Amino acid sequence: MTSAAPPRAGAGGFDAWKAATLAILIILALVFLAPTVGVLLSSIKSTRDIALGNLWSMPNSVYLANYIEVLTNPAVHTYMLNTLLVAVPATIGSIGLGILAGYVFAKLPFRGSNLLFLVLVAGMFFPPQVILIPLFRLFNGLGLIDTLWPVIIVHIGLGIPICTLLMRNFFATVPNALREAAILEGANEWQVLTRVALPISLPALAVLVTLQFTWIWNDFLWPLIFTQSDNKRTIMLGLVSLKGQYSVAWGVQGALSLIATLPTLIVFLFFQRYFIKGMTMGAVKG
Amino acid sequence: MTDLTFNAVRKSFGPLEIVKGIDLAVKSGEFVVFVGPSGCGKSTLLRMIAGLESVTSGQIVIGGEDVTNTPPAQRGIAMVFQSYALFPHMNVGENISFGMRLAHQPRELIAKRVNEVADILQIKHLLDRRPKQLSGGQRQRVAIGRAIIRNPKVFLFDEPLSNLDAALRVQMRLEIARLHSELGATMVYVTHDQVEAMTLADRIVVLNSGRIEQVGTPMELYENPANLFVARFIGSPAMNLFPARVVADGALQLAAGAKPVAAHVGAAADTKVTLGVRSEHLAITSPEQAMLQAKLVAIERLGSENIAYLEAAESPDPVAVSLPHTTVPRVGEMLPIGLSGGVTHIFGEDGNRI
Amino acid sequence: MQAWPGVAPLPSPAVLIVGNLVEQRTRLWQIALLALPLAVFGLIVVWPLASSFYYSFTNWNGFGAGYDFVGFDNFAQILGDRLFFNAIVNTVIWMIAAIILPSGLGLILALLLDSRVPGASIFKTIFYLPICLSAVIVGQIWIWIYQPDWGLLNTLIGAATGEDANFAWLAKPGTALYSVIVAWSWQQTGLSMVIFLAGLTAVPSDLLEVSDIEGANTFQRIWHVVLPLLRPATVVVIALSVINSLKGFDILYIMTGGGPFNSSDTLAMHMYNESFKKYLMGYGAAISVVLFLIAITIIFFYFRQLKKVDEIYD
Repeated sequence: MTSAAPPRAGAGGFDAWKAATLAILIILALVFLAPTVGVLLSSIKSTRDIALGNLWSMPNSVYLANYIEVLTNPAVHTYMLNTLLVAVPATIGSIGLGILAGYVFAKLPFRGSNLLFLVLVAGMFFPPQVILIPLFRLFNGLGLIDTLWPVIIVHIGLGIPICTLLMRNFFATVPNALREAAILEGANEWQVLTRVALPISLPALAVLVTLQFTWIWNDFLWPLIFTQSDNKRTIMLGLVSLKGQYSVAWGVQGALSLIATLPTLIVFLFFQRYFIKGMTMGAVKG
Repeated sequence: MTDLTFNAVRKSFGPLEIVKGIDLAVKSGEFVVFVGPSGCGKSTLLRMIAGLESVTSGQIVIGGEDVTNTPPAQRGIAMVFQSYALFPHMNVGENISFGMRLAHQPRELIAKRVNEVADILQIKHLLDRRPKQLSGGQRQRVAIGRAIIRNPKVFLFDEPLSNLDAALRVQMRLEIARLHSELGATMVYVTHDQVEAMTLADRIVVLNSGRIEQVGTPMELYENPANLFVARFIGSPAMNLFPARVVADGALQLAAGAKPVAAHVGAAADTKVTLGVRSEHLAITSPEQAMLQAKLVAIERLGSENIAYLEAAESPDPVAVSLPHTTVPRVGEMLPIGLSGGVTHIFGEDGNRI
Repeated sequence: MQAWPGVAPLPSPAVLIVGNLVEQRTRLWQIALLALPLAVFGLIVVWPLASSFYYSFTNWNGFGAGYDFVGFDNFAQILGDRLFFNAIVNTVIWMIAAIILPSGLGLILALLLDSRVPGASIFKTIFYLPICLSAVIVGQIWIWIYQPDWGLLNTLIGAATGEDANFAWLAKPGTALYSVIVAWSWQQTGLSMVIFLAGLTAVPSDLLEVSDIEGANTFQRIWHVVLPLLRPATVVVIALSVINSLKGFDILYIMTGGGPFNSSDTLAMHMYNESFKKYLMGYGAAISVVLFLIAITIIFFYFRQLKKVDEIYD
């Protein structure tokens, strides 16, 4: 659907509007791209190079030592592993719970279920600060501070609203007739969910996996609160703590930033082909 | 009012040619219906008149002016969409007056015209309502109102009644007919429903795969279909078609060794033709006068008449025969069927009438 | 069953059981499927929310389990806390910026990208990319951009004006907050754009064709047709941007930590500092209560707007 320029009879040839639009877009794209490109450029320059010239200029040659430094740093390995140990279970857990709840709200409504759904969704809107202190006290009391468990559990809980929202909106588009046909064939609700609804919900799942994984992988606050020792840190905390070690080694920091972003990029690229349609679902009506 | 002309109009979407050379002259004040199966290009043609689709080659002329490259707003047309296309965030009055407000017309003039239009369509009491609060028929009228207020040279209708239920459809059909006689405007109407075509049109244009099959008044198309496609498309139930062979003195033989049907086909013996007979021109006859023997497989009782569907070796499709509503043969019976009324249509091997 | 005279016969037992069974089974499934999600949600969100209220009336210091009740002392202290009001002002500034900058820019980008320019999908990816980065990395990148001596911003300004520019964007109280907000907007804009793009695909094409026939030019079409029909998406975008501005912590922590001299302190940062730097957890809980009230107000307006929008569009 294009709203800015529907086809015109007999237009043909040079369209001033389109040219202007393209020009503006190119300028804005450059502005938006500059920061990321800068990091990329810095990561392939040696620290001396940067100090001499500029962080932002084109490099003379491609300098890979920064990446080698990052990739061979055992601390980085620990950080990445920790983040993986948090992101994978939390993603699976939150999406799984979202599927269960979303199915009920979409296909098995009851009196008050709409209100309950709204309450669940409202959970997305609260700044994490409002639940920070009690959770800290809870996990402190359980002796789980400085482990990865609180981070995993909290992310599962915090992911429930968005996962429920998206899955419920998606399941609502599955015709009731499909469920009724399955029930007539003797399926129970669990079988309807796993054999009928879930298999066709792959686009929505792809969106959710990408969203959740990215969000959890990139998170900073909860690991900050719940971990103390260096060997429990996630990669984003590691980025900050390594600033001390790599204080003026901008190139290494740049390389580290890009390495840290790699997993989310991989997830995005992998699932992209599945969620062409999924993105628009529920995005407008909330 | 104005006339509308198509000159050798073609339309392709990339390598796919949708409209394959249309020449048509619509007279001023005529109600023309484009009809045909899905994908025949009728909607594309309508949208080309509106300027919503470009013309690949050829010309469209409205009121003597070549509008092929003119933007839609300057062609003097107005269009009623199948979905009504009412702006949900405006009330009825604002929807109707949208074009005038865009052109910054004076407020009093806008109010006057809106009231006039609302009067014609009897929607004056709805002017402050939003589309969501209206019924389907009311929305339809608002869409028509938005078209009328433009005083267009040509009205375009894109399957406007498809979204209405059966009863409402009949009512709106009458309203559109009434509108045409009141305004006397040139109207081009697209539908896939041949009943709408037959009842509303001054002339019907039957389209198939991007070409015109026949243009004519409803009765011309019904009584003298130019080819097999038109013969089957117009009329419900569809015309019965029997493959046949011409034998001596122009008679037709429907099956090998069968008694020839008396006819005066002006073609050489042994020519393969198709015999077309409408259901109301067949009847249950005596065995001596019968053209064929057929087994009754189903009977539809419509109240005013019955339609019998029979299986016969002479026809690949079920044969439809109109019967008086009191005649109710039993399913499974073999019945002698013959011509009644003497109206037959002969089509050659190329599909055109002979 | 023998009917009593004058009384309707009872339905056969089989009908009674079957009728109830279906409902019973459905009820069981509702409970079974919702149990775990609701339990986890209750544990992680609902209970802590309530508890925060509780702790705001105490003076817990984060260590050990002991604390005393201090009634409304914390709230009284808030009212006299200069830093608190400073944080509120900054938070409000951020929220207002959220309505204008990422939402407005996102809308413009979506409209531009909707008009069939070549390479639209490449542009979309470029604008969407910042969202994939963590706030920490975004903060780091923009620290480099704002660097006084060799930062990109000063380099460009120097190149444009011909003079050396070495303004310390993040170190000056007057500009620190706005510098962070710009960096944050760089990331948030892509999200707004994506939502607006989705909303644009929901604009019915025949409404656009009508506006064409009625003679609307591009501006009129956008003003009279596209923007009103984008209202549902606009509501979502603004709500999301404002809520995200309220939540903004990571990027602030990285870039300024709330400084210099608390000039970029927001409620979220202030709460963190009081709770985890000064160990005044009770007081921090009180601040989080204020945050909660602000969030609730936004949610209330958001749902009300959604309802209003629902009444017009079906």
